[in-house]
Amino acid sequence: MTQYILRRLLLMIPVALLVTIGIFVLVRLAPGDPVLTYAGEDRDPATIAHIREQLGLDQPLPVQYAAWLSRAVTGDLGRSIQTKQRVLEAITERLPVTIELGLTALAISVTIALIVGTLAAVKRNSVLDLLSTSFTLAGVSFPNFYLGLILILVFAYIVPGRIFPPGGFTPFTTDPLENLRRLVLPALTLAAASTAVNLRQMRSSLLEAFSQDYIRTARAKGLGERLVIVRHALKNALIPVVTIIGLQVGAIIEGAFITETIFFIPGIGRLAVQAIPAGDYPVVQGVVIFSAISFMLSTLVVDVLYAVLDPRISYESAKA
Amino acid sequence: MTAPALPIVVPLTRAGRTSSLRWFLRRNPRILIGGTIVAILLFVAATAPFIAPYDPIKVDVSQALVPPSLTHLLGTDDLGRDVFSRVLWGSRVSLSVGLISVSIGFLLGVSIGLAAGYLGGTFDLIAMRVIDALLSFPALVLAIAITAALGPQIQNAMIAIGIVAVPGYARLTRGQVLSIRAREFIVAARTIGAPPLRIVLRHIFPNVTNALVVQATLATAFAILAEAALSFLGLGPQPPYPSWGQDINYSQRYLANLKWWMSAGPGIAIFLAVFGFNFLGDALRDALDPRLRRSG
Repeated sequence: MTQYILRRLLLMIPVALLVTIGIFVLVRLAPGDPVLTYAGEDRDPATIAHIREQLGLDQPLPVQYAAWLSRAVTGDLGRSIQTKQRVLEAITERLPVTIELGLTALAISVTIALIVGTLAAVKRNSVLDLLSTSFTLAGVSFPNFYLGLILILVFAYIVPGRIFPPGGFTPFTTDPLENLRRLVLPALTLAAASTAVNLRQMRSSLLEAFSQDYIRTARAKGLGERLVIVRHALKNALIPVVTIIGLQVGAIIEGAFITETIFFIPGIGRLAVQAIPAGDYPVVQGVVIFSAISFMLSTLVVDVLYAVLDPRISYESAKA
Repeated sequence: MTAPALPIVVPLTRAGRTSSLRWFLRRNPRILIGGTIVAILLFVAATAPFIAPYDPIKVDVSQALVPPSLTHLLGTDDLGRDVFSRVLWGSRVSLSVGLISVSIGFLLGVSIGLAAGYLGGTFDLIAMRVIDALLSFPALVLAIAITAALGPQIQNAMIAIGIVAVPGYARLTRGQVLSIRAREFIVAARTIGAPPLRIVLRHIFPNVTNALVVQATLATAFAILAEAALSFLGLGPQPPYPSWGQDINYSQRYLANLKWWMSAGPGIAIFLAVFGFNFLGDALRDALDPRLRRSG
């Protein structure tokens, strides 16, 4: 297993390098001269030339890339052109907010998917099953930014008493209750699409498990239905669900860009969205790389978990 | 467990083709439902200039923020523009971005997949690492990064969404090619000296089209949703041109005043369009490609 993880990590290096080259080139393609943004009001050619030299932007692209990469591996992603703050610092400052939002959304999504998905599979073709199937179809097609606006409209403006505020963020350490109150609507918005995907996967893998021989054996030896579902079917059905949940990490990262923008949440998604029109390329670059690396690592974790959960899967023998 | 489908021989007359199509649709009613939604969308997009009751960008402040009524089916925005007309016109943006970006992704992805699968070796190795790199990004984040770099324009949104779609086609095609490459008819074609390009285009490609049709339909759903998200973030077509995502973004400022109708039209339109393509894609997958069928 250790060997497998190491091999996967090694294989990640060339891909990660390609990712960084891609982002580096992309950001340099961006319209507008970052030096002008950096210089602000001062348009003196000498100052501009000086800033260009200082930022290393007068060098050829491969040299700029090598310099940038050697700094990036030590965690130096440059400074924000707008705020002059270190990019890594700007990201790590906002990361807890994004992680809190993402984990809450994931928790909502997994809980609903587990409960409703199991019930829908056990009571196949019931009203609940029909409702959950319709929800999954609608959930993957509904634009999350519109869902966010509907939730704001209903809970912040229409329902009397403003149960949930339309946006903003309060740190957990300042006021835990207010933190949760402000987190409900964005987390629901972010969770909607992944709940639909997880629910569909949960239902279909349970249905598949129900058709297996070991379930018939469990029933035949007189086990109670609840025990059959929990001990036998659910345990096996969860394996593909873990993969799907792992893949939802990507959906949650991209959803955070939009959800944080709608709800004015100071996470890394909003940081990037605000940096785009300002031409703040180090920040955009930093956040995009950060998203890509997190997504790659979460895919790796899923693959490893897959092997841990299912003893039939052995990566050692799959080498050949 | 369903009984294995028996081969059906249909005479190649026009009447025969129509009846077999009818038979196919009767067996797969979901294709009919999804297909109808998609057909209506295409019709609306094609005829928007003729069926839209008002000019979508004409400002008429005397009619500002009028709630839905018989004169303005979906109400008007703060500049008095008819929301219904903007929704109809917006379908042109969404569908054209959807179709063009899917074509870009299709052409690039299928070419890479065919070449990587058939040629193998170094080309395959390099191409697949590039595909892995593209897959390392959450799809929308990559689309945002590309559009942000190229500039907020509709053409750039198309390119961005097209590039994001490449890995899906490339991997699917490569996988299919690898499974077909060793089959007898390919070996036979090679034995009689058919050139590689001819083998790929005449013998391999037709065998992967079913899976690709499904992929393209589902990718269109993603493309429409992604375009709406990009426009919502200000990275799509620029005002005053109507676009569903951008109109929803614009409506945000009137949310506190309970002017819900400004976003309802475009919001429901996005949902219907994405739902239509997703529904059609799922139905096509079940009908055309039983290997990819999901259980349940």
